[in-house]
Amino acid sequence: MTRVGLIANPAAGRDIRRLTGGASVVDNYAKRRVAECVLEGLAVVTEPPDVAVMPDRSGIADHAVSEAPDDLAVERVEMTVEESAADTRRAAARFRESADAVVVLGGDGTTRDVALEIGDVPLVSVSTGTNNVVPTPVDGTVAGAAAAAVATGAADADAVTDRHGRIDVRADDVNGEKRLTGLAAVEITDRSFVGTRAVIDPSELVGGVVSRAHPSDIGLGSVAGCLEPLAPDALGGVALRLDDPEATARSVSAIVAPGMTATIGVTERDRLEWDEPATFDVSDVVVGADGERELEVVDATVEMTPTADGPRLVDADAALGAAVEAGALVREGPLLEER
Amino acid sequence: MADYTLETEEGRREALRRMLTIREFDSTAGDYFADGEIPGFVHLYIGEEAVGVGACAALEPDDYIASTHRGHGHCIAKGLDPKLMMAELFGKQDGYCNGKGGSMHIADVDSGMLGANGIVGAGPPLATGAALSIDYDDREQVAVGFLGDGAVAQGQVHEAINLAATWDLPAVFVVENNRYGEGTPVEEQHNVDDLSDTAGAYDIPGVTVDGMDVTAVAEAVEEARKRARDGDGPTIVEAETYRYRGHYEGDEQPYRDEDEIEKWKEQDPIDRFSELLVDRGELTEEELKELRDEIEAEIEEAVEYAQDAPLPDPSEAYEDMFAEMPPEIERFASQARADGGSLGGDRR
Repeated sequence: MTRVGLIANPAAGRDIRRLTGGASVVDNYAKRRVAECVLEGLAVVTEPPDVAVMPDRSGIADHAVSEAPDDLAVERVEMTVEESAADTRRAAARFRESADAVVVLGGDGTTRDVALEIGDVPLVSVSTGTNNVVPTPVDGTVAGAAAAAVATGAADADAVTDRHGRIDVRADDVNGEKRLTGLAAVEITDRSFVGTRAVIDPSELVGGVVSRAHPSDIGLGSVAGCLEPLAPDALGGVALRLDDPEATARSVSAIVAPGMTATIGVTERDRLEWDEPATFDVSDVVVGADGERELEVVDATVEMTPTADGPRLVDADAALGAAVEAGALVREGPLLEER
Repeated sequence: MADYTLETEEGRREALRRMLTIREFDSTAGDYFADGEIPGFVHLYIGEEAVGVGACAALEPDDYIASTHRGHGHCIAKGLDPKLMMAELFGKQDGYCNGKGGSMHIADVDSGMLGANGIVGAGPPLATGAALSIDYDDREQVAVGFLGDGAVAQGQVHEAINLAATWDLPAVFVVENNRYGEGTPVEEQHNVDDLSDTAGAYDIPGVTVDGMDVTAVAEAVEEARKRARDGDGPTIVEAETYRYRGHYEGDEQPYRDEDEIEKWKEQDPIDRFSELLVDRGELTEEELKELRDEIEAEIEEAVEYAQDAPLPDPSEAYEDMFAEMPPEIERFASQARADGGSLGGDRR
């Protein structure tokens, strides 16, 4: 029997960026509805996969189970719920062993948490977060159908997935070694504390490394993308060093956070190969991943390395196209003369 | 310039000092309440220090705050004197309200502290009123209304936030979600996951932050303050926090277990912030100990001061109650003045 895992992060899309920028709010009622759509979509193939849902205390999983289509076998994963990112990671670790495809509802942060544990299981990442570069704003039903196509083999996973990069960060500061991983970008902000996590003031961006770049890749990826785009499945990454646009020969107008554009001075842009680190010497900063401040470092050397170990992301359109070619979405009725 | 700000090393030290002062003040108040020296009720702020201190770190000295029944922390965060606060708790003449208010009614308008309040959800209407006065007089302040999770469903809170939002008043509403409205878990009182989601009803932003992290609270309130000063109206900032003690001192707390309390203590706001400062090289363990000792002595002194201070004179029972005494009260007041001496006794 094939199996699809569903992870809906209740905490995604709820951070302070809806105050500091124009980030949209995705409430848990909306997430319930998206989860319901995913299950509906999974039932579109002839022999739908079994479904396992990450439990939560916000009623998303409960609602999904009770509202699931009759012909779909849906269960909650048996696991403890901490109401933190650990839940997402724990569920992803289970799915690495037991699922043929996973659907994630969340933003870049949630997708990153899943990516760290999911191994090679194909991922359909649906945007319900704040800073969404990696997940796509695909309809939940389409995401479910695409996951079903991949899980059941109607679509060849190798043909409809792309391997995303990731960036590993290692900082040696006065208190020892600290580590962090980003999917699309890791960035250094000139601020002392993690605080509310959001990048509040674009002029505080000091630099960082991206694994992809495009003006539409909100955050540091947008800054890099304004100079030269880098496809999500392209090799390596780009390192940027930034400064006050008044002090630099070249500056770009980029989308640095939802609802926030800024002119950013770029002092240096370096193309990096896989596993080629960029290093930054910093005094009192916070290192962030995918637009969220995560790690306070003081007097440190920060090493940022793009690697090819990101998640395998499903292209939903391609997956459904492949399902059509395989005839998985057509049910042949009895021939007229046989009736 | 704010009283103290997390932007500077000195300000961070001051924020830590205030958090430690709140904890020491409230631990001590709990002890003297248990001994029967403090009359009435006390509701302790222990565990929630990062919320009051974080919020006040984002304010200017002349900004207003309106507090709750759990108000000691807000007072200390806003810069009130622990000696005069303790005297108020002891019901003494030297207290902020001449000993007539007690724990739940400490107010000091000169410090911008509009009052603690025995009525659940009574802070936001005061904040909205203060914000209206700021707007009316074209002043550069904001008014912050603190409220608990239980107060979020109170009618007057809705009225206060609705008007502040409708008139774009310079107010900030800080919801201290300590998980329980008295003994009722927050999930059993509200249908929304995050209490900041109620902001949608007023078409204003609402954010939920880690209320055990003073830097997160300060940052959110700072952004909310900016928004208020820009004329964009109020913001709801929900701080997720936890009270270590009962709802009131003496609460048997059948609604929760020790494991839960211990789990939250792992996130202790004072430990977290002091460790952060130690990690940054701004504070040594020794200095932290010195700071604790200093504060312990300061609170001990506050208790001695409160114990030694006189009780208010019964003849003044009706003073300090009204800006202008209503005629129908005046006759009781004159009676008290006439009887005053006979009720005096030992006024220590």
